[in-house]
Amino acid sequence: MNHDGWLHALTGELHRRGLDPNLSRHVVAEAAAHLRDSGEAPLRVFGPPETYAAAVAESVGVPRPQTGRAWPDASAGVAGSAGTGRAAGSARTVRSSPGPIRLDVRGISKRYRRRPVLSGVDLTVRAGEIAAVVGANGAGKSTFLRICAGLISPDRGQVRVHGSLGYCPQSGGTNDYLYPDEHFVLVGAGRGLPRATARAAGREHAAALDWDPSGRTQARHLSGGTRQKLNLVMAALGEPDVLLLDEPYQGFDRGTYLDFWQQLWRWRSAGKAIVVVTHLLNQLDRVDTVLDLTPTREVSA
Amino acid sequence: MTKILTVAELALREILRRRSVLVILTLLPLAFYFSRREDHLGQSIRFVCLGIGWALSTAALFAGSAARGIEPRLRLSGYRPHHLHLGRLVALWTVGVGLSVPYFALIRFDQHDVRYGAIALIMMLTVAVAAPFGLALSAVVPRELEGTLVLLTVVGLQMIMDPAGAASRLLPFWFSREIGTYAIDHTDGGYLTRGLMHGIVLTLALTALVAVASGIRLRQRSHLKFM
Repeated sequence: MNHDGWLHALTGELHRRGLDPNLSRHVVAEAAAHLRDSGEAPLRVFGPPETYAAAVAESVGVPRPQTGRAWPDASAGVAGSAGTGRAAGSARTVRSSPGPIRLDVRGISKRYRRRPVLSGVDLTVRAGEIAAVVGANGAGKSTFLRICAGLISPDRGQVRVHGSLGYCPQSGGTNDYLYPDEHFVLVGAGRGLPRATARAAGREHAAALDWDPSGRTQARHLSGGTRQKLNLVMAALGEPDVLLLDEPYQGFDRGTYLDFWQQLWRWRSAGKAIVVVTHLLNQLDRVDTVLDLTPTREVSA
Repeated sequence: MTKILTVAELALREILRRRSVLVILTLLPLAFYFSRREDHLGQSIRFVCLGIGWALSTAALFAGSAARGIEPRLRLSGYRPHHLHLGRLVALWTVGVGLSVPYFALIRFDQHDVRYGAIALIMMLTVAVAAPFGLALSAVVPRELEGTLVLLTVVGLQMIMDPAGAASRLLPFWFSREIGTYAIDHTDGGYLTRGLMHGIVLTLALTALVAVASGIRLRQRSHLKFM
């Protein structure tokens, strides 16, 4: 890793750890000066950027994220039900108490060619809450989210949305030949945003994911991870009340993955109701509700 | 109106960035034109109009298929189905006009003793019909390969079927043969009237079909209620 790459990575890590921007700039400038004067390799002098950033954050007293796990008992391992327990929040975001119900899902059932995929699934998400939808491959996580978004019909059940809806698909959902800014304009016009406002809002959401979308790169030339960032930003444009995110972090590197969860917690603090499909169980302690769609027989087995 | 124009503008940008497609789109009618220029000038005019129709229908078919992934999320972002399909139609009609103008100029300077106004009318109607025809195909036949084969069949039939037969009137570009006869062979106005009526009816019917298909595909499902 060269000097610039290492310093860029350090900047990102310090940002993720919630260091004051002025202090962060100062730390990076100091490190840059030292590297320039010594001519040594940054990994040899400081070690990996995330380790050095962690040491800096600890030395200036930025609290670490909590690592304790809290899986709501009411939901764990129960197919087709929604947990109501609450988990520990992030150490870096101020949690406000949940607000009114934003998404109310009742009795959703769906079969594909006689094979039951979803059976009587309920879920309630309030403003200021994150619900994680988990389950094995083929458990119906994406189907459930697409039903919530109204993209496919269930065989039975109802979905009530109090407010507006934003949806981020697992893949696709972008136009290969348009620039990121043009995607923001396109979605923004649907939300009633003027062009400049849509572009500014898109760039702001992108910055939170450590992505600068101002370049003239068509979506088909973006990497998989960057395209998913674009997908995520499009879902959040216009500040919808309910966000449905179907494994939006596919292709994200570690830093972006952390940025993604930071952004989720910020949205939660801003009062959004969020449903995120995930199979990465290490983040379940950061959500408010877990909906496990694994069929009961698989859980008991 | 802003929403329709935004969709139209960005759909147009998308089409214009498909450079290789644009080149083929532009050259295809030219190949049709020169295929009969030496032995039958009048026929080359009929063929170039069919070429424009085929090229634009194909572009519309692919544009419609490419939009299937993003349209559901645009619907969720506040667009109504008519914003989306009308915006795309406006973009395709614009491309069609841009494609037709150089061919009209070519005929204007290369052919004599024909009714130029009627030829311009054929081209306008061809553009008007071809765009919703391709979009309707993309709605009814979701896979591009199947859609392209249907297009191939339709244009092939258009070339070989006797235009005087009743069945040929079911083909989308039948009007071009009728108005073409009026323009090239200087027949009576009956050909013009029949061709004009056919073109207008087809444009309206195909646009309505696109609207219905788009409305059904992007409808708000009954299980989802916004409170």
